[in-house]
Amino acid sequence: MKTTLALLAATTALAAVLTLPALADDDRRARSDDSRGEHVTLRDRMAQLFHVFDDDDDGHRHGGRHHDDDDDDDDGGGRGRMAAPAGSVAPPANGLFGTGTPPRVQMN
Amino acid sequence: MKSLLAALALTTALTVPGLVLARPVTLTTQMNRYGGDGAYLAIYVTDPSGAYAGTLWMAGTRTRYYSHLSDWYAATGGDPAQIDGITGASVGAGRTLEITFDLADTLFDAGYTLHIDAAVEDMRDSPDEVSVPLTTAGAGVPVPGGRYIASFGYSF
Repeated sequence: MKTTLALLAATTALAAVLTLPALADDDRRARSDDSRGEHVTLRDRMAQLFHVFDDDDDGHRHGGRHHDDDDDDDDGGGRGRMAAPAGSVAPPANGLFGTGTPPRVQMN
Repeated sequence: MKSLLAALALTTALTVPGLVLARPVTLTTQMNRYGGDGAYLAIYVTDPSGAYAGTLWMAGTRTRYYSHLSDWYAATGGDPAQIDGITGASVGAGRTLEITFDLADTLFDAGYTLHIDAAVEDMRDSPDEVSVPLTTAGAGVPVPGGRYIASFGYSF
């Protein structure tokens, strides 16, 4: 029994020694980021680390390019505004379109 | 009577060109089964000198990805005014996009070329994947694409 307790105490101590500095360092970096106007929490960092398990893809966590079919939001990148969707306004007056008739689109 | 005939001739002369200035054209783009997410496509036209003339269609609405349609982006700077009213959803692998609109007759048999830039998430960008001269003889004749597009064609 004593051996088991000793082993448990040793592993707990070892785990604390290994993880506390990392957590403290992360917290320091989080505060540093916060001082630059970004609020980055440990939870955010963990979410970034484990985003591969996150099926609730909102399109904002990925560092790489992200295209999807729902196209329901945007981050204001590019020139700052989204283009008007087809059918909501007339096509541009660029001389290519004969009339102001909206395009008809079909996806199969 | 003469005035009436003159007025009739004048109105006819003014109206007829308007009726034949444009024609309905259908663009058909068949995508390959490339095994990735929906493709962004920029369909645009260059004039006989090779200069950007305008955009016909943008598939994909998120502006932050437009820079990956590199030739189109170089010509437009990603200006959303170029694609107002002609923007729709990205096109999935294996799917077919059909767009019908009234295009100016002056685009055909006059040295204009239709181009398609394509881009897919985490895959290589594919500028100028399709480049096809706009001619009446070319209508109904599909041309092969490259990386993401299996074939493209236009018909009257």
